[in-house]
Amino acid sequence: MVTVTRERALKEAKKAEKAIKAGKYLGPLHGIPYGGKDLLATKGIPASWGAAPFKDQVFDHDATVVKKLGKAGSVLGAKLAMIELAGGMGYRQPNASFTGPCSTPWSLGHWAGGSSSGSGSAVAAGLVPFTIGSETWGSILSPAGNCGVAGLRPTYGRVSRHGAMALSWTLDKLGPLCLTADDCGLVLEAMAGYDKKDQTTTRKLYKYEAETREFRFGVLKGTTNNAQEAVTENFNESLKELENIGTVEEMEYPEYPYEAITRAILNAEAASAFDEFTEAGTARGLTAPEDHYGPYARTIILAKDYLKALRLRAVMAKKADKAMEPYDAIVAPGRTRVAPPIDMEFRKISSGTSKDIMGAIGNGAGLPSISVPNGFNEEGLPTSIQFMGRAYDENLIISAAVAYQGGTQWHTKHPKAFTP
Amino acid sequence: MKDSNTEAETLFKLVEQKYGDKLTEEELEEVKKGVERIVEASMELRKVKLENGDEPFSIFKPYRGDEE
Repeated sequence: MVTVTRERALKEAKKAEKAIKAGKYLGPLHGIPYGGKDLLATKGIPASWGAAPFKDQVFDHDATVVKKLGKAGSVLGAKLAMIELAGGMGYRQPNASFTGPCSTPWSLGHWAGGSSSGSGSAVAAGLVPFTIGSETWGSILSPAGNCGVAGLRPTYGRVSRHGAMALSWTLDKLGPLCLTADDCGLVLEAMAGYDKKDQTTTRKLYKYEAETREFRFGVLKGTTNNAQEAVTENFNESLKELENIGTVEEMEYPEYPYEAITRAILNAEAASAFDEFTEAGTARGLTAPEDHYGPYARTIILAKDYLKALRLRAVMAKKADKAMEPYDAIVAPGRTRVAPPIDMEFRKISSGTSKDIMGAIGNGAGLPSISVPNGFNEEGLPTSIQFMGRAYDENLIISAAVAYQGGTQWHTKHPKAFTP
Repeated sequence: MKDSNTEAETLFKLVEQKYGDKLTEEELEEVKKGVERIVEASMELRKVKLENGDEPFSIFKPYRGDEE
């Protein structure tokens, strides 16, 4: 945690208690505490963006998502640790936040994932029942996987980004991290909706409704090629479980430079979003040494290359949607690796380049995905499975994850050190 | 790859000229690798053919304050 919002929490809790006693119950989130990633604006409370140069930054307004959760009666209990600037400077190690590296509650010597580190860790430790994280590329699914909790990346535009730090305005999404997939649906319903302060929000209404059906699962061909042994074993076990609730068949996306497209968009938009920051040399004040020089290389991306990536993205979105049409969800490991040691550089752990096609397509095309725990490795570190759906199909993928969790017990396991 | 190298070198010189005073020699070496990766990725994108009418998904809308 970066800031415990004690005064605000007590005020909101008393208000909720009074309303509930008076019979004015607002729904399942009424009176429920939560934590928000520290890139959300919260009136009068610091929003550090995880970065030392911004640690005293205070906004005079609440982010739309904070307002919406307030209207649902939720109680903001804390602002949560995150990788500095949502990892946008290219960090290569867990120690890339002014609050230090964030541990997974499953092993304090291992990393919580990022960039929504505290959002995953706080739920797994039982500090709050749900949190809000953000994802530009992997920042919800990574901590969900490393911390063994459910994490939902909604469709781009489902949730207003107003009041959240912008890293890449056409890739950034806000989503919940919870103990179960079912909880993710409940929280998303409270967060979602059109917001005139974020022109990219959809006017499509979202109401969480879990459905029972026989699901059609597609398994991305070669999805475990670069995965650790335990990740592969647990994923294969999960596929057997999925056969109890639907059909499972291998699928492929057509060849296309998915990663290059999404990476180019992220780099160009981040270069612009942090232009003044970069020009002023403020990166020198960041924690991770690699973040000191991280923002400079991308300042040379040509406008025509960014625009080409945006044009290719439109083709990519259509190709991906067509490939996914026969399925309710594409499944893959949430992460190909378990939480790494907290003091180790990422490149020392994985050899070679591990492709992240699911992440590139999912984030580049703005598709929803939910990650839930699906086992442990021999060290007791959680592994995960993700269900990625077509645009606006949150209910389908959540329903599939709920059905999966109905037949498994992984979500009922909690770290011993944090279990009463 | 020669084109890629030439372009990366040229663009790196621009970064060096503009931000060199903010970075150490070691950091500049890392920036150089970063520029090379970006140029390689750009080359990959440039190889893909698009039709003249293939446009990005656009959200721009003309603005009038009294019509919000």
